[in-house]
Amino acid sequence: MLQTFNRSFRTAAWLGWQVESNWTDPLLFFAFSVLKPVSSVLILVFMYHAVAGAGSDAPIYAYIFLGNAFYIYVGAVMAGTSYAILDDRERYRTLKYLYIAPIAMPMYLLGRAVARFVVGTLAVVITLLVGIFFLNVPVNLLTVDWPLFGLTLALGIICLSFMGLALGAWTLTIRNEPWFLGDAVAASLYLFSGAIFPITLLPGWLQPLAYGLPVTYWLELLRRATLGPNAAAFPTFAAWSNGQLLAALTGLTLAFGLLAALAFRFFDRLARERGLIDAQSNF
Amino acid sequence: MSIVDRQLPTENRQLPAAPRQVIHGWRYFLRTVWARAYPRIIGQQREPAWVFFETFLPFLATVGYVYVYRAMEAPEEFVGFAVMGGAMTAFWLNVMWSMATQLYWDKEQGNLPLYIMSPASLMAILLGMALGGMLATSLRAAIILVLGTWLFQVPFAISNYLQLFAVFLLTMTALYGLGMLFGSLFLLFGRNAWQISQMMQEPIYFISGFYFPIETFGFAVALAAAILPLTLGMDAMRQLTFANGPALGFLSVEIEIGILLLLAVGFVSAAKLALDRMEWRARYEGTLSDRRK
Amino acid sequence: MAHEALAIQTENLGRVYTIKAIKKGEAKQRVALNDVNLEVGRGEFFGLLGPNGAGKTTLIKILTTLLAPTHGRATVAGYDVARQAAQVRPLINMVSGGESSGYGLLTVRENLWMFGQFYGLDSKSTYRRVDALLEIVGLSDRAHTKTSDLSTGLRQKMNIVRGFLTDPQIIFLDEPTLGLDVGASREVRSFVRNWVDERPDRTLLLTTHYMAEAEELCQRVAIINAGKVLACDSPANLKRRLQREAIFRLDVSPLRNGALSTFETLPGVRKFVHTPQDGKSELDLILAEDGAIASVVTTLTSHGAQILNLQKREPTLEDVFVDLVGLSMEQAAAS
Ligand SMILES: Nc1ncnc2c1ncn2[C@@H]1O[C@H](COP(=O)(O)OP(=O)(O)O)[C@@H](O)[C@H]1O
Ligand SMILES: [Mg+2]
Repeated sequence: MLQTFNRSFRTAAWLGWQVESNWTDPLLFFAFSVLKPVSSVLILVFMYHAVAGAGSDAPIYAYIFLGNAFYIYVGAVMAGTSYAILDDRERYRTLKYLYIAPIAMPMYLLGRAVARFVVGTLAVVITLLVGIFFLNVPVNLLTVDWPLFGLTLALGIICLSFMGLALGAWTLTIRNEPWFLGDAVAASLYLFSGAIFPITLLPGWLQPLAYGLPVTYWLELLRRATLGPNAAAFPTFAAWSNGQLLAALTGLTLAFGLLAALAFRFFDRLARERGLIDAQSNF
Repeated sequence: MSIVDRQLPTENRQLPAAPRQVIHGWRYFLRTVWARAYPRIIGQQREPAWVFFETFLPFLATVGYVYVYRAMEAPEEFVGFAVMGGAMTAFWLNVMWSMATQLYWDKEQGNLPLYIMSPASLMAILLGMALGGMLATSLRAAIILVLGTWLFQVPFAISNYLQLFAVFLLTMTALYGLGMLFGSLFLLFGRNAWQISQMMQEPIYFISGFYFPIETFGFAVALAAAILPLTLGMDAMRQLTFANGPALGFLSVEIEIGILLLLAVGFVSAAKLALDRMEWRARYEGTLSDRRK
Repeated sequence: MAHEALAIQTENLGRVYTIKAIKKGEAKQRVALNDVNLEVGRGEFFGLLGPNGAGKTTLIKILTTLLAPTHGRATVAGYDVARQAAQVRPLINMVSGGESSGYGLLTVRENLWMFGQFYGLDSKSTYRRVDALLEIVGLSDRAHTKTSDLSTGLRQKMNIVRGFLTDPQIIFLDEPTLGLDVGASREVRSFVRNWVDERPDRTLLLTTHYMAEAEELCQRVAIINAGKVLACDSPANLKRRLQREAIFRLDVSPLRNGALSTFETLPGVRKFVHTPQDGKSELDLILAEDGAIASVVTTLTSHGAQILNLQKREPTLEDVFVDLVGLSMEQAAAS
């Protein structure tokens, strides 16, 4: 049992990497891992400049920049995993063969997520470096709390893969134009996880949703790890210690792991019942 | 006992005589435009899910940017800028996804050869595509605008309706002219067209100043960005619809109208040239009307 | 339109495709049509018979102004297809088998209306004609179905209606029954035949690689292979070329490889085609005269082959093709 899991995970990670890194055109690779993320962060940077003039020392500047930069992982890992299912079903038309192959489907998808993570890391690193060296983002690589950063990042990525798994299984049950789902969920979470503005700005009745999302705690911890004391200048989680935030993130990760397992079983059965494993959406 | 009669009809019964063809003049041109616009307009009625997502996603982005301005404690006009930018993204998305890539899809589906073979002008067909897309998108843009205005109490202060109308019309002409131009160019890029559309999205939102006034760029960069129709179009619209707009404007509205007029004429003519060139290549190289690539 | 002009005329027509090399190196050239000379009169039902890759679609694309010739010239209704495309286009239409047309979101009726508009037809009479044509091809009950929900066969029927909707002077049908089942193919052929019978002044050019289709429908047939027209005449006249020959179909127990080579030296055997089947070998023979069959049978039995069936038959266009090319159509397509 464990062996099958292990084998399928490694095969899947390898297969996933082959698919994800199969960029025939280095220019396109550049565009997707640099041009898009850097442009979207530049929009925020210039919005800030338009309002505040040239200064970039207000804490909100670093808050927005880092939140947006790390949010790239949400698109890459969570939405990416759900795309992987569709890619296999619609573009490569291989999903049905993967299904009948002796590899555990969730493991295969997590393998794809790992590949997505590697590609996403490139975009995150480039965005951060551009920010630190050209856009006055006040991150000092020497004072970053690396252990906290590493631990948080790992937890978050695991959690995002779980979310991607659940989302991917859901996407599988949608016949027409299911591509939007990953985008729509990623875009909604963007608003509710304090990525680019503190969640206290949201209407009061929406705030509980934000507190229920692991990404909220994850981003807060990443900011604290990279900015040190500057991050605390923002009041959303002022009363929370790092330990409390970590506990919340761990708890939610476990919860989403369970949710992903249940969702996968449920949607998987639904997809089989409705014969959607080899469906094609029409355009 | 059952009898199977496999006899086929020996005549096609009464087929009404062929309608008279009128293939000259502006009425024929408009007929073609409308016929090609029709699928665009009717299409969105049949796929409400598309309309939902194509409105919903830009709207979410808009909400995000509104809150970013709130977090920066920006003046209320900026909230208006974000809402307007969000509404205008609907047009950009339509131009990239339904204009620029459309001739490529038409080729893949086997429609392009039928269009080229028909006596109709390809320009009229492309124009219909643009007009249909524009009308269908206006609905989406309006929803984003109305919803955003209502939710965030955007303080509009329109100073000159006539100029605003002119700016909008010219911006749309130039924008869809650009889309028509892309349509022919993307046909040459083939499969990569989809990826090019995808990867240009955020860079264009940035460089065109969808969510902030472009004077922030400084003169030279802003002028370079003005080659994209929405850059000056939105700058002029910001100046005409917000009290504080003119102070944050790039050039005067009159000059911007002038440049937009040039862009409109330029892009539509370039689209015509590119289309002729595309048809020429299709016929001489034999690669473009062919589905096997 | 120039009234006395032939419907279709080609003079030394040729088309060379330049295939861009994927790796560095010289671009390759492929001759798809070579020195084609054809004349099709007004009101004629003309067939172009040839295997896959013979150049049929290329010829149709040139005649429908979609592709420019690289050599020679072609006129349709007296107009040069390369230089006077605008004059040609209102007079023609085309249906290619295996292709769909229009938009999946539109209904059958709406799609057809749209194409009608491109030909300058007014809406009201377009709808009337659409409805009548749908009735004839048995698609009326699907008039309001979205085309994306149609089966391949029904979509092809709609495509055929699109082609005939504008009542073209000259219509090009490029393998119109490709991918259709037997019943649907029959219906399509019957529709086309009736259409021609009822309109003696309309010209129809049909390409096919089913020889029965050409034989059944066309008044004249050009046999085309590897870009060249090898013969052009009525099916009866083409078959008359084989009048003096004797044509046999032989079924024997499976042949070993060596057995075939001895045939080549047998006196009186002009052409033969060997088609291995499940558990037997099929031999189609074109012999100089009846008597030659004796030595064939002797040779076969000396190779240990068992004769399962022997039949003398009338020549078909397939035999004409074999006689001209030395290969069956299937073999010619593969090469
Ligand atoms: N666009 C093209 N580029 C290169 N070669 C082509 C192209 N279209 C057709 N060909 C080649 O030209 C020959 C004739 O093709 P075609 O006219 O499609 O034959 P048919 O319709 O009789 O099957 C074939 O060898 C084919 O591979
Ligand atoms: Mg063909």
